[in-house]
Amino acid sequence: MLETRNLDKSFGAVHVTRNVSLKLERGERRVILGPNGAGKTTLFNQLVGELTPDSGSVHLAGEDVTALPVAKRARRGLSRSYQKNTLFDGLTVEENLGLAAAVHTGHATRLWSDSLSKPEVREIVGEVAEQVKLMPFLHAKVSEISYGVRRQLEVGVALATRPLVLLMDEPTSGVGPEMSKGFHDLLNNLPRDLTMLIIEHDMDLAFDVADTITVLNYGEVVFDGLPEKARGSSLLKEIYLGSWENA
Amino acid sequence: MFRHNTLRYVALILLAAGALFQAFTAEYFGLEILTEILILAMLVLALDIVAGFGGMVSLCHGALMGGGAYAYAIFTTKAGIAPPVAMAGAIALTGAAAWVIGAIGSRSHGIYFIMATLAFGQMAYSYVFETPIFGGDDGLGGISRLDLSFIGVDLNDSRSFALFCLAVLGTVYGTSVVILRSGLGRSLTGVMHNEQRMRALGLTVWRVKADVFGLSGMIAGLAGALAAQHIMYISPGLLSWTVSGEALVVVILGGLGTLVGPLIGAAAFVVLKHELSSVTTYWHLVVGVILIAVVMSRANGIFGWIEARWGDRLDRRLADATRKTEEVLTDA
Repeated sequence: MLETRNLDKSFGAVHVTRNVSLKLERGERRVILGPNGAGKTTLFNQLVGELTPDSGSVHLAGEDVTALPVAKRARRGLSRSYQKNTLFDGLTVEENLGLAAAVHTGHATRLWSDSLSKPEVREIVGEVAEQVKLMPFLHAKVSEISYGVRRQLEVGVALATRPLVLLMDEPTSGVGPEMSKGFHDLLNNLPRDLTMLIIEHDMDLAFDVADTITVLNYGEVVFDGLPEKARGSSLLKEIYLGSWENA
Repeated sequence: MFRHNTLRYVALILLAAGALFQAFTAEYFGLEILTEILILAMLVLALDIVAGFGGMVSLCHGALMGGGAYAYAIFTTKAGIAPPVAMAGAIALTGAAAWVIGAIGSRSHGIYFIMATLAFGQMAYSYVFETPIFGGDDGLGGISRLDLSFIGVDLNDSRSFALFCLAVLGTVYGTSVVILRSGLGRSLTGVMHNEQRMRALGLTVWRVKADVFGLSGMIAGLAGALAAQHIMYISPGLLSWTVSGEALVVVILGGLGTLVGPLIGAAAFVVLKHELSSVTTYWHLVVGVILIAVVMSRANGIFGWIEARWGDRLDRRLADATRKTEEVLTDA
């Protein structure tokens, strides 16, 4: 469903992505681990088109999308959520989801009709609000909801484009243990055919949700395999997991 | 997203009632001032759509209005085209020009977008000023008004023309609301709040900006075609950046991003201009002081200030009254 071939990116002398090749099958849930500065978010930015790789390619559902801009990749089914909330703060939760659903259904550029009143848009808004547990907050403005609920909305907005592949950059970033547990359920309850690539520091969530795990270090893939193997890898303990195991 | 609250409806009703009262009771000079307000109101509505709901602060809307005025004048006086067709042509032409400006400017933001629009506006001003067919500094005269005699309306009569402009303004306001509540308008607001996210959702951002800028340009062109008919004479000064600057002052004075506020701003600005200019030649200074006070008060213009104080209170009182009425009816 999503594949990268020999992706490479440098900023001056700093090599942030080194020859990264990944292959995600349809419905696969892969978690990307790695210490700070490993190049995880930079890799995401190249996948969605916010950054152009120096070399290598990105393929979505068999199509080479490397040269496509962000919006075209999104319309082909690549959606992302951000590590830092990137929402429409002055609008309600419903309007936030509605904007995304309107783009997906083609109502976002229509004149003379209100996109949010369209049945297909309302249907997506309702379904996504159920999926990410936002029904009680639909009419609240983003500025009126808690940080944790905003994280749910961050994922919800990405989901409302009905993507083939959902990229989530630290969905539980900054939320407490209780809410983090809620995120486990939320992610596990998403449709099984949705391909997910998740950057996550919460190890419990990573091992709970992941079918496969990829570990990046200095922009390079140093591990790619099943979660059980990741737990037993001495290399991973050395570069990343040591602090977690000892915690 | 644009919403009408109770206060906005009340303000609209009061504005419409005031305009109608003035249209039916005023003498010639009062009617001329009213028409000036109504045409300026169209221009500032056009500017509020792009600046207040799309974050595209434009300094070329004066040129777009001037372009509409010149297009109408050339079509009717030089090409002999019938006024209704000339008006439609002027609106289409300014809409197309605005779409191109919006498309080119869509990749820039803030001060850079302002400068780009200023450059477009000044290019249009210079072109009109230097091109003989436009009459140069002397401008163009002998511009005729629409002929509505087939329905018994003589637009050469000041009262009829003011009422006609009021009807057009009402239509423009209604159209503006429809645009802002449409999928396109919602996307525009989304782009203003978070352009990066809208792009990541799959929206072609430049196209949304260009489309709305084009629609806004059509409204500005319509205002220009009416301005040409109002004065029956036009000069390059109509395209000057100072006209765009004044329109921006009016929008900020009235309340950016409220639609209703700019209407109040237009009325306040024109009345202040005429009243103060009869007292002092330094009337701009007074308007400047008022603008500084409005900006420094951190209220969103005159209407924003009113709305911040009474908008929610009015809605709450109305909701309380509705609930009490329902209780009484239920008890009965």
